Amino acid sequence: MTDNSDAAQQLRPGLWQTINERYPGSMITKESYVSLARLRKPLRESRLTFVSTGGVQPKGTLPFDTVHPVGDYTFRRVPSHLKPADLEIHQLKYPTAGAMRDLNVIFPIERLQELAAEGIIGSLAPNFFSFIGYNMNPEALERTLAEDIAEAVEADGADVALLSPA
Amino acid sequence: MQRAIEHRGIPTVSISVALDVTEHAKPPRAVFVPFMMGHHFGVPFHAELQRRIILEALTHIEQAKESGEVCRVAVTWAEARRQGIEIEKQLGLKT
Repeated sequence: MTDNSDAAQQLRPGLWQTINERYPGSMITKESYVSLARLRKPLRESRLTFVSTGGVQPKGTLPFDTVHPVGDYTFRRVPSHLKPADLEIHQLKYPTAGAMRDLNVIFPIERLQELAAEGIIGSLAPNFFSFIGYNMNPEALERTLAEDIAEAVEADGADVALLSPA
Repeated sequence: MQRAIEHRGIPTVSISVALDVTEHAKPPRAVFVPFMMGHHFGVPFHAELQRRIILEALTHIEQAKESGEVCRVAVTWAEARRQGIEIEKQLGLKT
């Protein structure tokens, strides 16, 4: 990479290598890219979903198992009409200093609701999706959790997906 | 995850704070922000920045030509934090 401007620098360099040395095999490495899907209609007519690894979940749902040694391969639906006060975070693997004061820094549910209300996005899918990023077996995650969420996203009739790997 | 959704014909974009992880995972489209982990959309109460990051990601969905394209948001963590402090002062959350 030749671009050394501030905007090109990640704040915490060497993340992949550091984690992979400590937890061998836990990090995903792909050799090729998947084909791009194309928007079927303009964004202003599209239904958007949001998928987060932030461990954000509706209050009252079963908390993610944040201390299981191989991780938690379940997900929670987060109805897209909820407010930050309806949600809580269960995870251990990223700093929540900002999110505890304004959930939108990791789960921008209010910003997405605004964009839909303004018509910049056609609508929000009925559910957003959340799981925890601590998973020690990427192959199992790919076989189970990734397919489970992809199936649920499709069943919700989403046209476009925004993801935030925390 | 992102690849599984894209594979079903639904275009996707992710927000990344770790370019090296993105280079390994090879998602179809990503937008990079040089922010602290867990702060992918910026800083508390900075709605304009949170919105801008979402909009740049959506624009990337419309404009990316090749799978794997990473677009960078021209903002620094220091700028975001400075602006966040100003906003919190204006909101009376910080003196």
